[in-house]
Amino acid sequence: MPSIRILPDRVANQIAAGEVVERPQAVIKELVENALDAGATRVEVEFSHGGRSMMRVEDNGCGMSREDALLCLERHATSKIIEADDLNRLGSYGFRGEALPSIASVSRFTLQTRPQGSESGTEVLVNGGRLLHVRDCGRPVGTRIEVAQLFHPVPARRKFLKTDQTEAAHIVQCVRLYALACPGVSFTLIEDGRVLFRSPECPRLLDRVGEIFGRHFTADLVPIEVREGDMVLRGLIGKPVAARPTRHEMISFINGRPVDSRTVNYAIVESYHEYIAKGRYPMAFLFLEIDPAAVDVNVHPAKREVRFRSEPQVRSFIIRAILQRLRELGQAASPLLGAQTEPARQAEAGGVQPPGSAPVAGGAAEAAGPGGQAQGMQPAPAATVSALDAAGRVIKVPAFSAGLEAAAADRLPGAGVSSATPQQPIPSPRQAAPVLTAWRFIGLAQGSLALFEAPGGLVVLDRRSALERIWYERLLAQHGTGALAVQRLLLPSTLELDPVASALVKDRLGFVQAHGFELVEFGRNFFRIEAVPDWMEPGDAVDFIRELAGALRDGRFQGRDERVWHEEYARLASAKAVRLSQRAGEAEMLGLLRDLFLTRAPLTSPQGRATYFELSQGELARRLQI
Amino acid sequence: MKFKINRDHFANGLAQVLNVVGSKATMPILSNVLIEAEKDQISLTTTNLDLGIRCKIKAEVKEAGTVTLPVKRLASIVRELPNTDVTVDAAPNHQVKLSSGGSTFRIMGIGKEEFPPLPEFGDEKAFTLEQSELAAMLRSVSYAESQDETRYILNGVYFNFKDGKFSLVATDGRRLALMSKEMDVPAESSGSIILPAKTVSELSRLLDKGEKVKINFNERRCAFQIASNKDSSGLIDSIYLYSKVVEGNYPNYNQVIPKETHQRIKLERQLLLDCVHRAALVCSEKANQVKLKLTSNLLEITAQSPDFGEAHESMAVNYSGPDLQVAFNPTFIMDPLKALTKDEIFFEVKDEISPGVFKTLDSFVCVIMPVRLT
Repeated sequence: MPSIRILPDRVANQIAAGEVVERPQAVIKELVENALDAGATRVEVEFSHGGRSMMRVEDNGCGMSREDALLCLERHATSKIIEADDLNRLGSYGFRGEALPSIASVSRFTLQTRPQGSESGTEVLVNGGRLLHVRDCGRPVGTRIEVAQLFHPVPARRKFLKTDQTEAAHIVQCVRLYALACPGVSFTLIEDGRVLFRSPECPRLLDRVGEIFGRHFTADLVPIEVREGDMVLRGLIGKPVAARPTRHEMISFINGRPVDSRTVNYAIVESYHEYIAKGRYPMAFLFLEIDPAAVDVNVHPAKREVRFRSEPQVRSFIIRAILQRLRELGQAASPLLGAQTEPARQAEAGGVQPPGSAPVAGGAAEAAGPGGQAQGMQPAPAATVSALDAAGRVIKVPAFSAGLEAAAADRLPGAGVSSATPQQPIPSPRQAAPVLTAWRFIGLAQGSLALFEAPGGLVVLDRRSALERIWYERLLAQHGTGALAVQRLLLPSTLELDPVASALVKDRLGFVQAHGFELVEFGRNFFRIEAVPDWMEPGDAVDFIRELAGALRDGRFQGRDERVWHEEYARLASAKAVRLSQRAGEAEMLGLLRDLFLTRAPLTSPQGRATYFELSQGELARRLQI
Repeated sequence: MKFKINRDHFANGLAQVLNVVGSKATMPILSNVLIEAEKDQISLTTTNLDLGIRCKIKAEVKEAGTVTLPVKRLASIVRELPNTDVTVDAAPNHQVKLSSGGSTFRIMGIGKEEFPPLPEFGDEKAFTLEQSELAAMLRSVSYAESQDETRYILNGVYFNFKDGKFSLVATDGRRLALMSKEMDVPAESSGSIILPAKTVSELSRLLDKGEKVKINFNERRCAFQIASNKDSSGLIDSIYLYSKVVEGNYPNYNQVIPKETHQRIKLERQLLLDCVHRAALVCSEKANQVKLKLTSNLLEITAQSPDFGEAHESMAVNYSGPDLQVAFNPTFIMDPLKALTKDEIFFEVKDEISPGVFKTLDSFVCVIMPVRLT
């Protein structure tokens, strides 16, 4: 019978390392976090062989004295928190005090550090948890940690590492995330002596995104900044038209910490649900700031997971904030919004200010008003919501006003308090009727396309998507007002459904009737359609009810939120309501455009397809080399 | 082939056949007109395989023969020729020389071998009608055809010869128009066809060129021989219109025509049309209905659209029944009123969910289904 004994520290550290140091990327993460916590403005990361043979993180942070350098290798030794209560007020990345001893216990670990004001630096070498030497060394202020031969004391772990490429990819992704999190810190990433990326200190997140993902990427991003209570959401979100096939460009940070939060991801996807097709994902680089007490990052040693005290609150805040921004984009979407509409929109933007900031808002509105008339893009000095609003417009017209984007984004950091009121009144159509005087309809193409000449170039409109968007909102609005015209049929259509669909339709008969169908059951699984909404061709009714039954079956009408049902219904129905005229006059087509720009999201159809795109004169000239 | 022809006669003949051209790029011959010259006439034929028209014009034929030419282009050239005398001369390589006064055109043609012949009819069911009467009947119903191509059965006018009656019916599922006349229908000739919308419009255009029109049909196709004796513009004999018919069962229309009359009001057609037309000016795509309100001796017509405004029309009528109110799509009211010629019409209503019925003294019925606001 073996007796119970306390494990030596070295063994305990190796056990902890199993949790903390999952793979080389975890080492990089811990070291980069330490560097950032030390206030570094320059971080250099180097690794070779996927981190297997060597990893080095060097910073210009505060550095450590010799005592600290030794102490930091003890378990639960940290400078970041003092008492348990500090866990509720975390401002730093790390706090557990486990990382360094764990890493040191499974590698050949060299630490060089010099604090400000000290003559010489300290070098500590630990191999597999055994302290080999401590001696003076020369180095600039800051810390340099080199981790070599990771997992050499635990060969079993080595076997679990993936290929060098895979491990390298994880490291690269990790460093990118921190680079995004801290645009103000310059980052260098070196793999096997080759510089993978080097980004100087960036004044703005947008620049950092451009550095990492490529300049072309930034054209499709717009800034967002919304504050509500003690929650702030800021960052960049993608335009709906720039949807991605994967979630890789959906990156979120909570209190500056890169996280993988289902809550946040779900909220982002949900916000775009009306704008982006199924199976595609928006781009988003979002920073959520929240009271540290309301979020628990201490779920897992790697801290990739977080828990919110109040998940629904966070989720609805994010959805509201993004939706509001997307609607602003939609309203500003027309590249031609004339000066007339500007004051109205400014007034409205002012209207959603919390009362406390009303004077500022007024000032901004005044300041932005004339600017808007002169092109809608002079910087507003006291930038608040109005500035954001104006910024939105600027970004909406990239093709026609190239170069102004940056100006818009510049203003973002200065943008102050704004409130994401969900019940923000939708502007009445009359108020925002855009001016299309300078537009000329060129003709129809490819059946569903319409071409326009706008003051700044060409616009190609997909009539089907545009009409779907218009009908979608019209049907939604119709349901809201309850004024629904139902056309009774002279020749009722009959419809046979399979038993499951039939039961589902019977369950939802009230819902179907509320949308203008008179569906009478006669006999088993047979229905007679006696009336249809007046916009529907009687011949489409059978197909439509079948589609509806299919959607019911897919569970698209589940949940208790009736509004979601109506949206789903409107999405299905809008596709049926569209009828494309083969011949179309200028007045009709300009009317279509006008109707489109009056919708809340003119950029995309309810299915998430783009409604139009622009070819600016510059673009045309470039392509034709004129 | 060589012939001399009057320019206006030629242009008129081409105008008769011009509308029927094929849309398939695989058969370019279908956008050509077949010109056949023999004796003292030329015949012009076009077809799109579903529908074909042939007409004959008098001409001075010097040399018999045939050729096909692009019809649209030919028609626009002929119309513009400077002199009324036109000479057409086709070389064996199908190149056609067209000369008139000082202008000469050379047009590339295609040989007649590729041109699909119009099927001729034998001993099918046959009826002869007055052209003017058929034209009026078609006009009274054809507006109610369905435009929705998914319901192809309804994309046309139903011709029914049965039980001593000839009836024309059109419906789009929300309204139905029926016009019938007494006629001697022998039992062996009784039958029905659905004439496609395109043929209906061509037929309506061609009618009224003479007195009689003869119709032959079987289950798959039909043909009209439209006498053109009244026409002085060079057409001779009759115009032959061939068409496939829509195959399928037409809905039982008798079943949907209300048997009982509840409230009947006599109305002045033009007055009602004007009132509804004015009221409908405020309608929009979102709110496309007019409300009819009947009270003692008063018919009120109102329409409104939320983003524009409203209209109110009132007209005195002879009515003593209960107050009632019903809404319709304004087009459904205006279409029959526009197509009819009688000054006096009858309108029958019951309540807000029952159909409205227009009638005239000469067996015309138009049933329109109401719109209800939920």
